[in-house]
Amino acid sequence: MKVTYNWLKDFVNITASPEDMAKRLTSAGMEVEEIIYQNEHLHDVVVGRILKIEKHPQADKLVVCQVDIGKEITQIITAATNVFEGAVVPVSLPGADLVNGVKIQKAKMRGIESCGMFCSGEELGIDENYFEGAGVNGILILPSDMKVGQPIDKALQLDDVIFDINITPNRADCMSVIGIAREVCALYGLYMRKVNLSYDIDVYAKDTVRDYVNVKVTTPNCFRYMAAAVTDVKIERSPLWMRARLNAVGIKPINTLVDITNYVLIEMGQPLHAFDQELIGGSQINVRQAKSGEKIEVLNHNTYDLDEDIMVIADSEKPMVIAGVIGGTNSCINDNTKKCVLESAVFDLKSIRITSRRIGVRTDSSARYSKGVNVANAEMGMLRALHLISRIKCGKIVRGMIDIASQKNEARKIVVSVKLINDILGLQIASKDMLTILNNLGIESTIAGDKITCIVPPYREDLENDYDIAEEVIRLYGYDAYDNVDYELFKNSAVTEGLHHPRLLMERQFRNALVTNGFYENVSYTLVPSDMADKLLLTDERKNLIRIANPISEDISCMRTSMAHSMFTNIAYNLSVGNHNLRIFECGRVYLTDTLPLEKLPTEKDMIALAVCEETFKTVKNMNFNFIKGMVEMILNKTSVDYKLVRSKQPYLHPGISADIIADGKLIGSFGQIHPVVAKNYDIPDYVVYAEIDDDYLASLPVKKIEAKEISKYPIVERDLAIVVDEKITAAEMLDTVKSSCGKLFYDANIFDIYRSQSVGENKKSIAFKIKLSDMNKTLTDEEVNKVVQKIVKTFSYKYGASLR
Amino acid sequence: MLLDELVKIKEDLLKEIQSASSQKELNDVRIKALGKSGLITSASKGMRDVSPEDRPKLGALINEVRTAIEQALQVKGEKFEQEALNKRLEEEKIDITEPSKFGKVGALHPIPDVIDRLTDICVDMGFSVVEGPEIETDYYNFEAMNIPKNHPSRDMQDTFFITDEILLRSQTSAVQAREMEKRKPPFKIVCPGKTYRNDSDATHSPIFHQLEGLVVDENISMADLKSMLTILMKRLYGEDTMIRFRPSFFPFTEPSIEVDVSCPNCHGKGCNICKGSGMLELLGAGVVNPKVLEMSGIDSKKYRGFAFGFGLDRTAMILNSISNIKSLYKNDIRFLNQMK
Repeated sequence: MKVTYNWLKDFVNITASPEDMAKRLTSAGMEVEEIIYQNEHLHDVVVGRILKIEKHPQADKLVVCQVDIGKEITQIITAATNVFEGAVVPVSLPGADLVNGVKIQKAKMRGIESCGMFCSGEELGIDENYFEGAGVNGILILPSDMKVGQPIDKALQLDDVIFDINITPNRADCMSVIGIAREVCALYGLYMRKVNLSYDIDVYAKDTVRDYVNVKVTTPNCFRYMAAAVTDVKIERSPLWMRARLNAVGIKPINTLVDITNYVLIEMGQPLHAFDQELIGGSQINVRQAKSGEKIEVLNHNTYDLDEDIMVIADSEKPMVIAGVIGGTNSCINDNTKKCVLESAVFDLKSIRITSRRIGVRTDSSARYSKGVNVANAEMGMLRALHLISRIKCGKIVRGMIDIASQKNEARKIVVSVKLINDILGLQIASKDMLTILNNLGIESTIAGDKITCIVPPYREDLENDYDIAEEVIRLYGYDAYDNVDYELFKNSAVTEGLHHPRLLMERQFRNALVTNGFYENVSYTLVPSDMADKLLLTDERKNLIRIANPISEDISCMRTSMAHSMFTNIAYNLSVGNHNLRIFECGRVYLTDTLPLEKLPTEKDMIALAVCEETFKTVKNMNFNFIKGMVEMILNKTSVDYKLVRSKQPYLHPGISADIIADGKLIGSFGQIHPVVAKNYDIPDYVVYAEIDDDYLASLPVKKIEAKEISKYPIVERDLAIVVDEKITAAEMLDTVKSSCGKLFYDANIFDIYRSQSVGENKKSIAFKIKLSDMNKTLTDEEVNKVVQKIVKTFSYKYGASLR
Repeated sequence: MLLDELVKIKEDLLKEIQSASSQKELNDVRIKALGKSGLITSASKGMRDVSPEDRPKLGALINEVRTAIEQALQVKGEKFEQEALNKRLEEEKIDITEPSKFGKVGALHPIPDVIDRLTDICVDMGFSVVEGPEIETDYYNFEAMNIPKNHPSRDMQDTFFITDEILLRSQTSAVQAREMEKRKPPFKIVCPGKTYRNDSDATHSPIFHQLEGLVVDENISMADLKSMLTILMKRLYGEDTMIRFRPSFFPFTEPSIEVDVSCPNCHGKGCNICKGSGMLELLGAGVVNPKVLEMSGIDSKKYRGFAFGFGLDRTAMILNSISNIKSLYKNDIRFLNQMK
């Protein structure tokens, strides 16, 4: 929201500097984002009159001008062709620093001194809409009666200071000059000047507004509709002071009536619309919901199809305006307008928001309506517009006004407690200070004991209770009251126990362990492209990608259903930028649903995913799988999970080189080498290994309990054993067999070699175990050890037909 | 005769020891003197031939000579050992600047890392860490936070919608109502997590992270908020950090404030990180709007609360001097490697 310093001065007698005002407004919650000095680039530019023009003796295209700049006559050389003797022009003098970056200094041009430059409109930052002649290709020729020697910013009324203020959504009443002026009054303890709402009426005229227009409101979305009529309309350039104000806040001046509606919009925050009375069919205005099938061409030259959700202002036949949003071309003010009907209305902000979103049009009018315009405001706006018409004499105002209102908004009374306000704030503000602040804000307040009775003006719809009033008090009292507050934390509150999130705490262990093993933690976008499921060959519910209705781009349009996509994408990205030997992991969520479109919230599952892409793993068979398996075991061993491994069914993993982790009969994770087709889809090597584990499941388990066993003081006996078995017998099965055969003497067993060759036999492997036996109470004898070994061999032969190698 | 002879033997042997130039030569002298048929050993054997009255004198002399020789051998031997050791140590010298192949660790990502740091501080202050869904209902993200449908406050955030009623949470505030429904006051919670907005440019990522805090108790005030955030920011950015309140607006807090934190880079003097202001706008906060408490079934006459929320991406960026938010999500190892 832009307002100007001079405009504010119409309503409040400010003496403070613009900087001070901006600071105070910001500290009270009206954040001034920028202060713009209109004349920043207009210093050392004055109004001058060309007295004499002579040809430059050395140059055909240049002329030498003697120019009266008030205090002296100066000499300026120009190439401009539209200047003439007697012309009044803007003259930039040495020291000027124009908006286009040109800096003026004295210079010799072909041997003759030039002490400045004449300016075009563009060089002053203005256009034809703002000032006649400013758009011509050449020097701006000023009116001949302009006083010579005066600074150009004064002469062209370009000396205002503009504040760009960020208005929070709760303060729609401040989306106007008058709203900001009220805040300024409260901040400086000043009085608000009365807004001039008077206008002239021809007391002898017999016609009334009903002779020009009738209004019927048939929609509940219009809270108030006011209409007035103006005859003898003069559509012309509005006066410079009005153009200056509009130009300053970034609105293009057009003509008297349009400028007045815009002026009131900015000043009062009241959108108005002006109709050409002769174009209103049947002189009838119907405020209604549109019918489907109706169309309207509007001022942005688009044509929109309308329906029952859109409110329109129609005449007896056709829609003329999309209510509150944009006017139609069929009935708007034009150069031939003689009679005008002026509308000042208040609409339901919800209706305007829906319409504005539906047709995708946002205007200054819809911006205000969609934040909420107060019902009382329509009248202020209408009267102010009529005052301005009267003041600049661009029409005759017809007696009477139509006013159809379904809502009233009057001052409300609320009673608040001084103690509660101080309790909320944690401060001790004196009740008389509160009273002063509230009264300065235009909230008439009186005190009785602990209670303050506040009469809240209609435009402060945001104020309802003690908390709201507490905010008003503190934002004007000043939040710097807290700068020196040294308050014991929670001194009046209960002690609460702080608990970590169990999963986050568990993940922290995993993350630190992985980092120690050379892994880099990733954080990826959870939004992924819709081809994710296809690239990963997904077939189950993970094919059901949850899609955003309004995505920024196709790349980030769906929620991921597998961590594998993020991991493979990150591997591909790193390889593409020349990073090698990658070990990455991420703790993140996948979003799963069995039905689409979503009817209820989906399952969000927290996973840890790892991926490794190391060239050295190419050299030794299964090393990549071994490595990722080791990492998975490291993670699982930090928990109390009881799991087994089965061949993986994950479509994105190599079916022969991957495992699913099963616990409690459920799949809780998978790991292994990437499926070659998926590797191709992501353009990454086929030796990439990947793992994922369900962290929610792991975090649901009891924390791992460690039970240390005493170590025997008698020596541990080791025996190595090589056994030849069928390929299909797994290592895990064999280790289980070893363990159970050893009975209570078992201490440890591991596989230290697996050997395959022709001599071992086809589809056979030789597995070498190191078996460790121990007894708590004695040193084991050879006899006892041999008995165990024989038992193992016997069991292997019985169970698997295996033989000792 | 023997006595003189022994003195001569001693002197000769000492000379030989002195001139020995290697451990081997020294060993030869040792054998010559003390070996089975060495000079001193032979002299001892010769005691038998000496008259009993001369024996003690001779015996003493032999012992003296033996001790002297042994000592000389030891001294010289140690010298050779020392020389050999020095030589070995010198030969084994390596280039200590050669890079190690071991202890190569990865790195945590700055965002989860900052979540760890912040939640640790908050747990110390009595907050419990909670989480909530990222795919959320319109009710919890907006309506329960006092942002009705088609309300102007909805303009503050560009939201990703999935259906009319289901969306990607635009703020971690969405967990507030969920927790208030579950818990009985007094309680203190913080919720870290991902948030989503339809906004992507140099300073905005469509996916980002927030940390939400909520306290509900009987006598909570804005002054508690000030004390709590001061401690939090001091522990995060250093003891000399200070914070300042500015008025703002959030539909779910009243009064609402923005909290400025003294720039941890320049300590308030003004630098390019804080754009010369000395302060950084880091979080939004306020006293919980009583309407929000009531909607979640908490008696607002009895209880009050405060809430705060801040961007973790920005926090991670400030703590690690990261200039571009997008680099947080590229997962480029060259970037992550700097986070060690």
